[in-house]
Amino acid sequence: MKHFSLKYTLLTYRLDQLWFPIAFWMLFVIVILIINEPSQSTDMSLAYLGTAVPLIGGVMAAYAILDDPALELRFATPIRAAQIIIERTLMIFFIQAVCAFSFYIFAKSIDVDFSSIGTVLDLHLSWVIPTITLIALGTFGSIVGAQTMIGAFFVGIVWIIQIIIRDGMAINNWKYFYIFMGITNPEHPDLHANQIALLALSLIFFLCSWILLHRQERYI
Amino acid sequence: MIEIKGLTKTYGVGNKTINALNGIDLRINSGMFGLLGPNGAGKTTFMRILAGIVNPSSGFVKINGFDLTTESGKHQIKSMLGYLPQELGMYTELTAIQFVDYMAILKGIDDSRKRNQRVHEVLEMVGLAKESNRKIKGFSGGMKRRVGIAQALVNNPKLLIVDEPTAGLDPEERIRFRNLLVNLATDRVVLLSTHIVEDIGQTCRDLAILAKGQILFRGSPTELTKAAENHVWTLTMQGMEKPNHDLTVVSMLHLAEGTQYRLVGSNAKDYANAQPAQPGLEDGYVWLMKQSNQMVEMI
Repeated sequence: MKHFSLKYTLLTYRLDQLWFPIAFWMLFVIVILIINEPSQSTDMSLAYLGTAVPLIGGVMAAYAILDDPALELRFATPIRAAQIIIERTLMIFFIQAVCAFSFYIFAKSIDVDFSSIGTVLDLHLSWVIPTITLIALGTFGSIVGAQTMIGAFFVGIVWIIQIIIRDGMAINNWKYFYIFMGITNPEHPDLHANQIALLALSLIFFLCSWILLHRQERYI
Repeated sequence: MIEIKGLTKTYGVGNKTINALNGIDLRINSGMFGLLGPNGAGKTTFMRILAGIVNPSSGFVKINGFDLTTESGKHQIKSMLGYLPQELGMYTELTAIQFVDYMAILKGIDDSRKRNQRVHEVLEMVGLAKESNRKIKGFSGGMKRRVGIAQALVNNPKLLIVDEPTAGLDPEERIRFRNLLVNLATDRVVLLSTHIVEDIGQTCRDLAILAKGQILFRGSPTELTKAAENHVWTLTMQGMEKPNHDLTVVSMLHLAEGTQYRLVGSNAKDYANAQPAQPGLEDGYVWLMKQSNQMVEMI
């Protein structure tokens, strides 16, 4: 691919931000090992995969594009806005995917039961879709506000509100935008519609981010 | 060649509208072109517009035939651009060679053999060949600037924009940097923006002075110097006495017989011992800025 290098994308990533997903991963692993009780281990594992992974992804995405020391130099090169967004958000998703899969392997190794969620695909969709949604929201928030903090704030607010009113979210007209349905209501008849709606919403966030990122002067 | 007509840029800050650039008309040919002006004159905004980072509010900019106001034109211009911003941010965990290599990739140099050769060439050009495997975080300000110019040159740009490149450099580094820019200007447009008059005098045949978002002067350093003819004086004063406010003090020197001032102003008739002096480039700049400020006060 023109104008792209995986090696340098990795080398220029702010490694000091990796403590955030690693710390959460370790916290949940340690708590599960300490509790050592099957039903609570399942709840903790689902909480990590379905809520913590998306939250961390969203917050990291808020910092992924604008928190770049060479942003002005990058803007002066012919790389497209879409490439900047794809390159950086894929990286965040990749980090979250590594955390989620390694956690899943750990959970399976101690016989955590995920059968309540459905198939293996259902389980993984229950963290993949919320993670994509919050990554898109974090990216959009930081770009629309031209500040990384605003993106992180958007993600935090949406996450906490949906956690608090989760029972109501699953039954009213907002159910299509309920991020945690895959984990809290795996047998909900509108789960697939919810997942499609969340993906569509993510696409809209990414499109808006792409349009806004053309106005480079807002970010330097 | 750069062609600019009626270029304006306005920013909204709260309820206020700030005119950063106010109807700039310029035509810039190959070679070194200096842009001089006080802090806040709009130089950086102007440079960022030419680099395709800031969108103009109105007006027309064409660089080598490509229209900067269209997305496709902007893309083409960025492909032939070398840019060194005033505040140079870098990935300091990378080595100099890695950083320049990465910038070469972002600029679209995909052939790794050619790229590798070019990266070594530009690092050699800026005198960093021996330090190229060191991490940038260990570099001095001057060395970082040199990495900055190396990345700007790596795609062999037709247009090189350097914004305040000598700020923070020691005298030796400044001379070296100026010479490097002059060498590069033989076959491309090099736009040098600075508030250091000496840098322009030593390097440019053509310059413009930007003040309050408008072009105040366009011409050669010699013409700028001439503008201050009959308006430069030397005056020695004793004790606590100081020249009146109509005269701008360009420099002062404490001597045994008193303080010797170099002054720029319309006349120094009030002082019997004031001697006319040969103007320099800095005097020309001060004189023009003084005229401009007086005009604003009158308005």
